[in-house]
Amino acid sequence: MSTEPKRNVVVTRNVWKIFGPRAEEAMAAVRRDNLSKAEVLEEFQAVVGVRDVSIEVGEGEVFCIMGLSGSGKSTLVRHINRLIEPTGGEILINGVDVNGLGAEDLRAMRADKIGMVFQNMALLPHRTVRDNIAFALELRNVDAFTRAELADRVIELVSLQGYGDRLPGDLSGGMQQRVGLARAMAADPDILLMDEPFSALDPLIRRGLQDEFLALSKTMKKTTLFITHDLDEAIRMGSRIAIMKDGEIVQTGTPEEIVTQPADDYVADFVAGISKLKLIFAHSVMRPVEAYEQGGRKLPPIDQCPQADPEDDLDALVGRVVGQDNPIVIMSDNKPVGVVTKDALLRGIQGEV
Amino acid sequence: MSSDTDIRKPFLDFAGHNGSYYADVFLKIQKATLGRGHVNVTAMIGSFVWAALRGNWGLFVIGFVIDLITAVNLALVYKYSNAAVENADKAYLVARYEGWSQTHLIGAIVTFVLGRILFGWLADRFYAKQYEKWRTDHSVNNGVEMRRLVLGLLVVALIAPLLLYRTTQFAPDERTCIKQDRALAEGEAVPFKDRFDCFVIGEFPTFIWIDRPDEISYPRDDNGERVIKRTAPSADAPPVSLNTYVSQSIDDGISYLTVFYGFLFDGITNVLRGMLGAITSVFVGTPWPITMAVLLFVAYRTAGPRTAIFVGASLAYLALFGFWQTAMDTMSLVVAASIICVVFGLPLGIWVSKSRRGKAIITPILDVMQTIPSFVYLLPAIAFFSIGKPPGILATVIFAMPPMVRLTALGILQVPENTKEAALAFGANPRQLLTKVELPLAMPSIMTGINQVVMMSLSMVVVAALIGAGGMGYIVTEALENTETGRGVLAGIGIALLAMMIDRVVQKANTQN
Repeated sequence: MSTEPKRNVVVTRNVWKIFGPRAEEAMAAVRRDNLSKAEVLEEFQAVVGVRDVSIEVGEGEVFCIMGLSGSGKSTLVRHINRLIEPTGGEILINGVDVNGLGAEDLRAMRADKIGMVFQNMALLPHRTVRDNIAFALELRNVDAFTRAELADRVIELVSLQGYGDRLPGDLSGGMQQRVGLARAMAADPDILLMDEPFSALDPLIRRGLQDEFLALSKTMKKTTLFITHDLDEAIRMGSRIAIMKDGEIVQTGTPEEIVTQPADDYVADFVAGISKLKLIFAHSVMRPVEAYEQGGRKLPPIDQCPQADPEDDLDALVGRVVGQDNPIVIMSDNKPVGVVTKDALLRGIQGEV
Repeated sequence: MSSDTDIRKPFLDFAGHNGSYYADVFLKIQKATLGRGHVNVTAMIGSFVWAALRGNWGLFVIGFVIDLITAVNLALVYKYSNAAVENADKAYLVARYEGWSQTHLIGAIVTFVLGRILFGWLADRFYAKQYEKWRTDHSVNNGVEMRRLVLGLLVVALIAPLLLYRTTQFAPDERTCIKQDRALAEGEAVPFKDRFDCFVIGEFPTFIWIDRPDEISYPRDDNGERVIKRTAPSADAPPVSLNTYVSQSIDDGISYLTVFYGFLFDGITNVLRGMLGAITSVFVGTPWPITMAVLLFVAYRTAGPRTAIFVGASLAYLALFGFWQTAMDTMSLVVAASIICVVFGLPLGIWVSKSRRGKAIITPILDVMQTIPSFVYLLPAIAFFSIGKPPGILATVIFAMPPMVRLTALGILQVPENTKEAALAFGANPRQLLTKVELPLAMPSIMTGINQVVMMSLSMVVVAALIGAGGMGYIVTEALENTETGRGVLAGIGIALLAMMIDRVVQKANTQN
């Protein structure tokens, strides 16, 4: 069972962002009449970027925000370090309202508390890898020696040893994004904002970086908001996923919840193409032994049946059942708790539970 | 069959009258089977009338100009044969006028024949282009419209008669017309034809006459203070033109400023002179072996051995032809002007890139500064700062600063938005954003700006020799005055070498960074 997050690090409450010179007016009208995106565009020539978004991200959690381009996910995440100011609602970081911060406090928070990784890396081409990584520290007037020391430590974390004195232009795309990641982590922030960090990389490199980031994230325990337009990636990375469409959050849940119980047709469409083998677990597809035996069938002796754990995924179940005629018996504490027939397994692979 | 008509339908829709002919031609053009010598006979005969009807104004202008040149030539034939008859008693004039009239006759015939053939040849090809535009935009002229013919003939009627009249007449000179004005003012009768000639075919007539402005001088009073003294012009002085009146007023304004705020201009002059003195003492005051060695070393370090050899050769030229001191003088001026340009241009450029108001104020000023020819800058420099090196530097600075401002602003504006966003996301304040992100990324652009400033300074410093800035330009102006071509050429080569030297070094230094 997924562990309940101890404490919410990032909380947004009813955040709205409307772009355009008449944003305030449009905001008031939307609050009053609940206008749609198209109506706001027509009446106020204003674009609704984020619509009434409330999320809570717990400490150490990797929270994925998934959506197509233009769905407002990048806009939403930029509210968290206030690169964009909300039109309405509030954003709390460790309980502090970000929009109440003064200019200097805001800069301090950005430098010390929040690291950000960008899709296009946005490294400074005239600085070495080390100086890029130490950029946030330099902005906080940390002395050069300490800076280099801290930077070298992070360089090791992202396995870029020996590249500290190179310029970003000498590095491949994947390595540049490691620099981007290292830069975000150099000041040891509590929160990582990752804006489609791996989208611009080719698939093999992307997979490698995803794995590395997952491993890092397990040890570093940074609260992460991970933006992606790729549901596969969201499922790999996220402990929870929020799916955005037209600035709104359509559904929030664990990967399994998203896949097995899509909230609407939009999410269902996304999920349709996703392999369920690693996402659905035995406890979701099994039926109680009594229900199995109701149709007059008799469960064969347990030792003649393949056995599995309730937390095993479909992939593992398929492995057990190949070459067997008997259904799988799901055992918990050495007691049979359910049965998975081949039919149920095939249905499960189709996503029907 | 139906497919064939389908293909032809858009052509027919476009051309309207006589559509099947154009459909054939356009199809041939599209299939690239149109004969090389294909000529539209209707268009050749109709010329601009045809073009107006078809709404092709490009062809209208071509046809009209061909016929106009023909007509003007014919008018000249008429004018000179008349003149030959009028001057029948002077044999040499008759011969000259008849020769001229013959030349123009041939001109008229050749223009007309070749021009019409060209027009006929162009007609269908241009018309096909018009059809292609019409395909994407149906508001493009199509078909045949009388309205357009009327418009075209109106244009012809406005231009042709007056132009032909002008060519058949000998235009009155300005003095005749001024005399005529006086005569008119005194109530004498002037024939209508003379008045018409003066009004229309001579110089643009002077409509505006203004009473002379007061003469203003600034003598000292008994206490030695300057006072403003106005003297009314005598009552019978003739009125002056707009030009004279306004230039007089400008002169008054400038002398007012120099008389009452002279200390300001003197102050600027002194600062410039001090700065220039310091720089000159480096270039001129240092013994030539040291200067030369240092320049060579700098060239070698910043731009490599090849450029260093070129610099060495150029310096040798300057030295051997006796231009060493003068060239170093010029160098000092260039360096002084460039330093001022960079010191003021960089912050201005930053301001332009950062502030909407800065952009609104500075950009039009830069536009004006860059369109005004360099010569014109010499005037205000002299007016306020008299002659010598300081006004020369000032004129140079005004001339050479715009690229610095522009390229700085451009460089900063070109910094990618997401790089700036990243810096902000890591907690950069505006000053850090400027110094750690924007300026470094704008550096290539800024260096290009400096390069431009140096090159433009050099060219202006040469021109500034006219107001006594001295240096290499002085030798050239002197040579111009005394028509000493040889000396001028040698000095000119020296200036060119100086320019190439600086350009090579600065540019190489840029690309290597």
